[in-house]
Order: sequence, then structure tokens, then C-alpha cells
Amino acid sequence: MRVDRLWLTDFRSYASAELQLAPGLTAVVGANGEGKTNLVEAIVFLATLGSFRGAPNDALVRLGAHQAVVRAEGERDGRALLIEAELAAGGRSRVLVNRQRLARTRDLLGALRVTVFAPDDLELVKGGPAERRRYLDDLLVAVDPRHDRTRSDLDRVLRQRNALLKQVGGRLDPDAAATLDVWDTRLATAGAALGRARRELVANLAPLLGSAYDAVASEAAEVHIVHASEWLDQGYAEVLAEGRAADVRRGLTLIGPHRDDVELSIGPMPARTHVSQGEQRSLAFALRMAGHTLVTAEVGSPPVLVLDDVFSELDSGRSDSLLEALPIGQTILTTAGRLPPGARPQLTVRVAGGDLTTDSPGVPPVGTA
Amino acid sequence: MSVYTGAVQDLIDELGRLPGVGPKSAQRIAFHLLKIPTVDAVRLARAITEAKERVTFCERCFNLAEGTLCGICSDDRREPHVLCVVEESRDIVAVERTREYRGRYHVLQGAISPIEGIGPDQLKVKELLARIDPEGVTEVILCTNPNIEGEATAMYLGRLLSPLGLTVTRIASGLPVGGDLEYADELTLGRALEGRRSFDS
Ligand SMILES: Nc1ncnc2c1ncn2[C@@H]1O[C@H](COP(=O)(O)OP(=O)(O)OP(=O)(O)O)[C@@H](O)[C@H]1O
Ligand SMILES: [Mg+2]
Ligand SMILES: [Zn+2]
Repeated sequence: MRVDRLWLTDFRSYASAELQLAPGLTAVVGANGEGKTNLVEAIVFLATLGSFRGAPNDALVRLGAHQAVVRAEGERDGRALLIEAELAAGGRSRVLVNRQRLARTRDLLGALRVTVFAPDDLELVKGGPAERRRYLDDLLVAVDPRHDRTRSDLDRVLRQRNALLKQVGGRLDPDAAATLDVWDTRLATAGAALGRARRELVANLAPLLGSAYDAVASEAAEVHIVHASEWLDQGYAEVLAEGRAADVRRGLTLIGPHRDDVELSIGPMPARTHVSQGEQRSLAFALRMAGHTLVTAEVGSPPVLVLDDVFSELDSGRSDSLLEALPIGQTILTTAGRLPPGARPQLTVRVAGGDLTTDSPGVPPVGTA
Repeated sequence: MSVYTGAVQDLIDELGRLPGVGPKSAQRIAFHLLKIPTVDAVRLARAITEAKERVTFCERCFNLAEGTLCGICSDDRREPHVLCVVEESRDIVAVERTREYRGRYHVLQGAISPIEGIGPDQLKVKELLARIDPEGVTEVILCTNPNIEGEATAMYLGRLLSPLGLTVTRIASGLPVGGDLEYADELTLGRALEGRRSFDS
């Protein structure tokens, strides 16, 4: 999977821009606020139809413009790939893959896969369980797009059950109980499917996480990852039955996959509360890289790896080990500072005053070799 | 944002209330209606009024009907002991297209969905139970949509009906999961009807 060329129209700060990317490492350099993240955000948008920075789609359209257009040419499984996306200022988007209109955005999953590491990812380690659940579930979908359904089913059933619990207002008459029985059965099935998938994923991630951490950490350490779920072993149906009185009283489903966590630790230290900020950063990076390796193995080809501002997060020793440990495939990294001496990008893109200039030290650009 | 004069804006607003019609389409349809010959517009208006006056719900199955019973309930060639339970009248059209089914129907007029405030009481569930004995129903086919709410509704009805000693079946998968019956092609839906399986609640 590869993006060779990218065209932007009215996307973020770019009125119009064209960019060539290397099959291996491309470095995007420029001062703060010049538009480096905007560039990689466009690539990620083609894969997810959203902003990895959590910005609403509106924010992606250049101020004053009606719609943004992002177009990319590349390769997937040895075939040419063309993705074109239009995003109206009102927020609706339209995508064509190889000139075919997609019926549902779900169909986009897998057309282009990306792994993104960005400064905000520190929250994976420092933040609440919701961040880590999203990490797991996004990875589930990346590994197998069918899990998009596992996830949305669970969401929907849970919302239905909670709506019913709220409506009964603390008292469950036999009619409401019969309806609740049905939602419990549906929830038990949907929950177990998601819970089992998460557990299996964490088991597959564990060994990868250890080596990914060692690759960037200053010293090797035992890194642990555990899927913490208080209902999965007992069986969700039974747990729901036992917890029914409490759920009815609170008008809410108190136990389930929506409360799972992923516990991370370095040696004996819980990573969220006990380890240094530098170690937390390395661990967040390791989580992304472990996911990247897993998806590469499951899908058979590496996603496009986007590293936004990694070096501001790591000291020079860690930066060098990161560059040495870069996986095969395409990588695009951005930096506001100097590239570490160990960096050997095939292309360097300089962003200044809204203009992009590319220099390729000795490597012929794609397509003209 | 009413940029149009009273009557035009009223028309746009009314059209915009229709299912699947957004503000842009409402505007387009309104301008279309204003452009076409008056007789054509009046014919449409009359069709709506007459349908509203003449069409009611079938007393027995809650399908659309002109008169007390719908076309299917008043057709005595239909097998009276088998009921196919659907969410909406339009689903009957989908099942009829398959030409696989010779029994009668029961239209729930929705599916269980607490989010929308719809429980069994808001659906024609009691009315379904009331039909079983008098009509000598021996088999009920649960033909609700293969999405979250449709599956939950089928499960609810299955649990309600199974103890009554009926054969309760659910249409087989093969239908796109999460989809709507009305969009299923007749071959797929026909196979799903044929391959219906006994309902395990
Ligand atoms: N919708 C938009 N329309 C116009 N300009 C925008 C829009 N969204 C963001 N910008 C501009 O883009 C700039 C930010 O670009 P970006 O985040 O890519 O910077 P960066 O090069 O990554 O900087 P840093 O090194 O600080 O991370 C901001 O200065 C902002 O003015
Ligand atoms: Mg940036
Ligand atoms: Zn009828």
C-alpha cells in the first residue's frame, strides 16, 4: 500500500497543492504552523474520512472555501489506486475509489490503510479507558473490517437497552421485564463477540508491544498489556442477570464491554500513574507500532505509516533508534526541528509560506526511474 | 432562513417533512411542482387527498386497505393458518414479489426501539395474539428486518408465541445483515423465506 502523489484543493491552509511521496521515507519539514500536519492529515482523511486530530470535518475546509478536495494516486496489492474525496463545508463528504462511487463510507475501510502516531497519542497511556478501548477497537477494524459491525451492533444494542432502563424509571413491571430480557440476550451476544475479539487482539499484541518498546526505549523493560474485563470470563448473560436490579435502579448498564480497560505497565509500575513522561511517550509510540506490525501481518502489506512530530517527543538517542527500527513500507514523518543525523529520507518536503518544495538526495523521484 | 414568500415556503416545508426528503430536495420538488401544468399538480393533490380519504388500515392485519379488509385478507385463496409478521405494509410488497408465500400477513407498524420510545404496546402485538385462536393459526413466520431492532422484535415475539404451541420460524439469513426487507431483491428474500428456520429464543 502506497501513496505516490497527493493533490489538495482548499484543504486546511492549502488553496492548492501537489505533492510527491517516496515509496520509503518522506520527511516533511518546516517551522511551526506552516502546514506540515495539515498535509499528513489529508492523507489520513482519505483512509478514514475524518481528522486524526479529532477536529470536526468543517475545520478541514479552508476558511472561506465551499469545499475541500483531496486526491491521491498510489498502489494497493500491486494495482493502481486512485482515491478522490470531496468534503463540503457543511460537512458531507463524497469518495470515489478508482472512479467508483462508494455506497457507504464503510466500504472505504481497507481501500487505504494508515497508521498514525501523533503527539496526542500520549493520552493512550495517560488518559482514561475510553482512549484505550478506541485504540483496541480501531485496530480490530483495521485487522478485519467486519469488526466494524461487531462494534456498531454493540453500540446500538447498548443504547437501546439504556433507553429502556431509563424509561422504566427504577421499576420493572413484567411487560418491561420481557422486553429487557430480549435486550439482555442481544447485548450478551454482541458484548461477548466484542469482548472475545478484544481479548484475542491483546494476546496477539503483547509480544509485539515488548519488542516495539525496546526499539525506542533507552533501556529494555518488561512491558505488560492486559485486557481488563470484569465480565468476560463469567459470561455476559449471567453478569447482566445478576446486575439487573442495580441497572434498573441506576437506569444504566453498569457492567460490560463499554467499561473495559487495557492495563499497561512497565515492569511492576502501572504506566498511567507510575512511570515517567518519557516512558509514557515511548509506550504510546510502541502501542502504535505494535498495532502497525499486527495489521501488516494480518493484512499482508504494511499500512502507510504517518509519524507526526515524533522527534519533539523523544530524545536524540530514542530518535535514532526509532529511525533504525522503521518498518518496511511507506513512512511519512513531519518535524519542525532538524532531522536527526540518522535520518535518510528518500524525499524531503519543505513547507514554507504555503509552498511545498521537494528535494531528493540522490534518489530519483517515483515514476521516472 | 425563509427567503421565499409564504405559499412557496409552506410547500417546501411540507415536502421537507417527508421521509428521505432533505431541504435541498424539498426545494427542487417544490420548484418542479410550480413549473408543471396546473392540471398535473392538481392531479397529484387529488391523488393524495383521495388516498387519505379512501385508504385505511385493514382491521385484521393492519396492511393498507380500501375498505375494512385489505386485498390479501379478503382473498379466500390465501392460506389462513399461516401468518407472516412484518414491520410495515411496504414489506408485504417485498414478500409478495417473491411469489413464495401464500399465507396471510400481520403488520406490526414498527419495531421495538426504546430509543424512539417504541415498545410492544406501541405495536400491533396484542392484535397479533388475538388472531391466533380465532383464525386457527398454526405457523407464524417472523419476517422483521434483519437489523438490531428487527431481530429484537422477532426474539420478543418468538418468546411470546412459542409457548402457544405454534410453529414459529424466522426468515433465514442470506439477507444482508443490517438491511431493510424492502430493498432486498426477490430472489434473496425468496430463498430466505424458503430456508426459514424454527425460532430458538
Ligand atoms: N480550515 C483552515 N483554513 C485555513 N487555514 C487553516 C485551517 N485550519 C488550519 N489552518 C492553518 O494551518 C496552520 C496549522 O497548520 P499545521 O497544524 O499543519 O502546522 P504544523 O506545520 O504542523 O505546525 P506545528 O509544527 O506547530 O505542528 C495554522 O496556522 C492555521 O492557520
Ligand atoms: Mg503539526
Ligand atoms: Zn389484511
